[in-house]
Amino acid sequence: MNTSYILRRLFYGLLLMLGVVVLNFLLIRMAPGDPAVVIAGEMGGATEEMLESIREEYGLNKPLLVQLGIYIGDIARFDLGESFFFNQPVTHLIGLRIGPTILLVVTAQLLSIVLGVFLGVIAARKPNGIMSAFVSVFATIGYAVPVFWTGIMLIILFASIVPIFPVEGMQSVRLRDANVFVKALDILHHLVLPAFTLAIIYLAQYARLSRASMLEVLGSDYIRTARAKGASEKSVLFKHALRNAALPILTVAGLQFGNLISGALLVETVFNWPGMGRLAFDSILRRDYPTIMGVLFFASFMVVIANILTDLSYRLADPRLRGR
Amino acid sequence: MSALLEIDDLRVTFGTRYGEVTALDSVSLHVDAGETLGVVGESGCGKSITALSVMGLIPQPPGKIAGGSIRLNGEELIGANPARLRGLRGGDVAMIFQEPMTSLNPVFTVGDQIAEAIMLHQNVDKAQALKDAIALLDRVGIPSPDARARDYPHQLSGGMRQRVMIAMAVSCRPKVLIADEPTTALDVTVQAQIFDLLNEIQRDFGAAIVLITHDMGAISEMADRVAVMYAGRVIEEASADDVLDYPQHPYARGLIDCIPALGRDDHRLAEIPGVVPPLHLLGAGCAFAERCAHKQDRCGLEKPLLAAHGHHPVACHGIEEGRI
Ligand SMILES: Nc1ncnc2c1ncn2[C@@H]1O[C@H](COP(=O)(O)OP(=O)(O)OP(=O)(O)O)[C@@H](O)[C@H]1O
Ligand SMILES: [Mg+2]
Repeated sequence: MNTSYILRRLFYGLLLMLGVVVLNFLLIRMAPGDPAVVIAGEMGGATEEMLESIREEYGLNKPLLVQLGIYIGDIARFDLGESFFFNQPVTHLIGLRIGPTILLVVTAQLLSIVLGVFLGVIAARKPNGIMSAFVSVFATIGYAVPVFWTGIMLIILFASIVPIFPVEGMQSVRLRDANVFVKALDILHHLVLPAFTLAIIYLAQYARLSRASMLEVLGSDYIRTARAKGASEKSVLFKHALRNAALPILTVAGLQFGNLISGALLVETVFNWPGMGRLAFDSILRRDYPTIMGVLFFASFMVVIANILTDLSYRLADPRLRGR
Repeated sequence: MSALLEIDDLRVTFGTRYGEVTALDSVSLHVDAGETLGVVGESGCGKSITALSVMGLIPQPPGKIAGGSIRLNGEELIGANPARLRGLRGGDVAMIFQEPMTSLNPVFTVGDQIAEAIMLHQNVDKAQALKDAIALLDRVGIPSPDARARDYPHQLSGGMRQRVMIAMAVSCRPKVLIADEPTTALDVTVQAQIFDLLNEIQRDFGAAIVLITHDMGAISEMADRVAVMYAGRVIEEASADDVLDYPQHPYARGLIDCIPALGRDDHRLAEIPGVVPPLHLLGAGCAFAERCAHKQDRCGLEKPLLAAHGHHPVACHGIEEGRI
């Protein structure tokens, strides 16, 4: 892997983020409604002088382009402004919540890839077998069902019928003073339902995709060569075939990461998970522009990072792409 | 004393959309240590299927070995347990495939792929296997084998890849080496080199070689005995000189006439009229009857059997009756 490629990729990532920032800014500013009125509303009542002073304070009376310039400059200094509602720096608000979101998103991503690929491989072994039929049906259902429905069904199941997993929040109040290990277990316990809810759509997709990809690869000449060497069936499937079949799965996993993050925002709301999703939800309801823009910025940032990582791992996995 | 590899009355069928078709019927062949058996015949006559049957690599389904026997050193291979077959494949019986461009796994280095074959059958560690692999690459005439061992297949030319395949096939000193049209995908100068290489390897290792080819020139260079196949049957079998100089079966005669002999005056190539009938349209009679200049009523009704009529074994009513 050459460094010049990585540098180039990072540079494109930076450009992309700049585009995102500009677009975020314009989209929010084009939304109807005067932010000053909203802020004043939070303070209770609004005289014309108050509005004017708010506009002055937040720079809302300057020309749009100037505001954009100031905004970009602020972001470059990692200053996302101050929340209208919480009266705290947005970076601080996000800093508190980004951990739980990353935990949820990464867990769901790993869960869906590992389980999905495993199901797909098993199904591809016997394309006309029971497992194969199961994967196809499961993939169709998993794909068709909306995230919030799965979430609500799981909540109903685990809240009243078999209450073995917590359905709300990330930590138990009664364990507030427990040691780190117990706390970590507690968080994992809380993580099960939201992560699974978020993972299930993608799990289904990966299962179907890897089944198809494996079937194609298993018919290729080099698989016959591997068998002709006397390689075991396990080695044929998981070494020779999967390494090749993984390439399209990697691509899709990278592309899906953005969807996964927007899915996470929904799942967090359903399970009251203390991540950026809740923050986004609350700040949208309150027209807390700096916070909304901060959340958007961080979400895009995560997607761009994920795409860069996907690209790099794709090159690691496929030698034909290296050195280009 | 039985031969090293003996195929007896082999019958292979395929389930297709036309129903079950017979790809191989009553195929009997044998080859001894140090001997080269040439197998010739038009495209689709069942040469590769015969080879794959010996390797135990017929895709099942749709394929099925419906009868007969394949014995290596007297040991029955059909129905042998899978672990035993894996031990033989790549060990005692190795195969070079028709498609050098696609027969190597694109995501592993060629050194690793050869080393894998070595480690599957010999009790050596990875470092030793890689060393042996490099020695083999050198043996098959690949320049700077050290560096090439670290290359991926896409970095090598077709001729180089076929040499890698040969190195892999001979890595465990097989008793039987099946070479399925090892040179069709390569240009003429490379073809000659590959045949030289096969000859040397046979001399060094004493392997029995089954050489499958369309190329009658290669047959006259390489083969001790020749089996001519047509539509899934062996229709003539004898020493290479006998078949080349005194072909009996009308199809074999046609095939020999097709050779563009150097030094012969007429440059017109003879040509066998018509095409091989598709397997699902094979009737009760001789499969060659529709293309044969000597066809009589009996030919359309009854399959001729391979039997010595005069010079050497041939399956033809006309020869049997002495009218050809
Ligand atoms: N998977 C399959 N399904 C159905 N029929 C098959 C299958 N594989 C091979 N056949 C049939 O078996 C017959 C023999 O095929 P084979 O590959 O042995 O031919 P070949 O003599 O090696 O030809 P070529 O010179 O083109 O390599 C063909 O007529 C083909 O249609
Ligand atoms: Mg073939």
